[in-house]
Amino acid sequence: MATELEYDRSLYGIEHDAGPFEVTESQIQAFSRGIAETNPIYTDAAAAKSQGFQDIVAPPTFCTIMVHRVSLPDIGLKFGGKPVTGGMHAGQRVQARAPITAGDHLTASSHLKEVYPKTGRTGTMVFIVWETTFRNQDGTVVADVQESFIRRG
Amino acid sequence: MYLDMHSHSVSSDDSRATVEQYLKWIQVLRKRGHVVDGIVLTEHRKFDYDKDYAALANQYDVVVLKGSELDTRYGHVLVYGVTEPLTKDIDFGNVAMDTRELLKAARQHGAYAVPAHPGRFGIGLTEYIQQGEIFDDVHIVERLNGGSRKGENERAWELCDDKGYLGVGGSDAHLTSHICTCLTRFEAKISNEADLVEALLSEQFQPVWLEDTTNNPTSE
Repeated sequence: MATELEYDRSLYGIEHDAGPFEVTESQIQAFSRGIAETNPIYTDAAAAKSQGFQDIVAPPTFCTIMVHRVSLPDIGLKFGGKPVTGGMHAGQRVQARAPITAGDHLTASSHLKEVYPKTGRTGTMVFIVWETTFRNQDGTVVADVQESFIRRG
Repeated sequence: MYLDMHSHSVSSDDSRATVEQYLKWIQVLRKRGHVVDGIVLTEHRKFDYDKDYAALANQYDVVVLKGSELDTRYGHVLVYGVTEPLTKDIDFGNVAMDTRELLKAARQHGAYAVPAHPGRFGIGLTEYIQQGEIFDDVHIVERLNGGSRKGENERAWELCDDKGYLGVGGSDAHLTSHICTCLTRFEAKISNEADLVEALLSEQFQPVWLEDTTNNPTSE
């Protein structure tokens, strides 16, 4: 029994690379202010260094903003034979893997994880899920970010 | 015994509650004087063959059963007693499947399918019946749903009265503190999915609010 969902399934298994993106002290401080973080390792370089870090540390969810610098391809979604356009961001999940500090250069590698439809009070929706892995200049994985996007069927 | 027939754990894409969090919350409900014996995890558009909650169920003395909630062309449907042949026969991710095919396939493979929140505006079975669709194989629907908005459970109630459907109750919990807001009281003792299907076929059950499980129920 086939579903009516059509999209570019050849995107599965393909990694889309981006970066490097430099992490700066001002970015970390702005993010920390934005989430009301007060731990000094996230707001003050001297405090972070006194705790053994190379520089000011990015809060664990920092890559939720870095992921916006990654361009993801259009999957060519059609539902019931009709192209689906527009939509909205449906959420993020972040798994912090290793500390990120000011001066790091992060690269991103993204792949299509899942595309699925669901129905609710407001009609049919299609969820497009991408997974992005961030690595630092040493090749260490520092975070995995899963992003979902909704398109209306 | 009292079972919450409709719940979603983190295995569903839109829930943030773990099974253990549900079972811990049930201990709180019990301390408040409520009687809760078990839950059925009805994850969206899938069946979790690989999940084994036996240790947790034993630790917290709560029956934990597995089912599914499928999206169909005519609304969501709860499936109890899911078997491997059923998952091979039916594409659980197909949101366009005909509800009637699912109802038939479930019975053919030893499972039982129950339309969920039939009074839900825009998507409930009531909407489609009003549009002229006929569902001969529906005998039981979810009469009480904890996620319903004002008027939706009332519509389900009216549907049951009009069509002679029996009703079950489930919380539709996606958050820990929502578990068991609605339940089903069974006459039979249920300890596994096959027992549950048998109990549904026996027709000896009724939907209840959590408040009805105390020694001094507020309503029946």
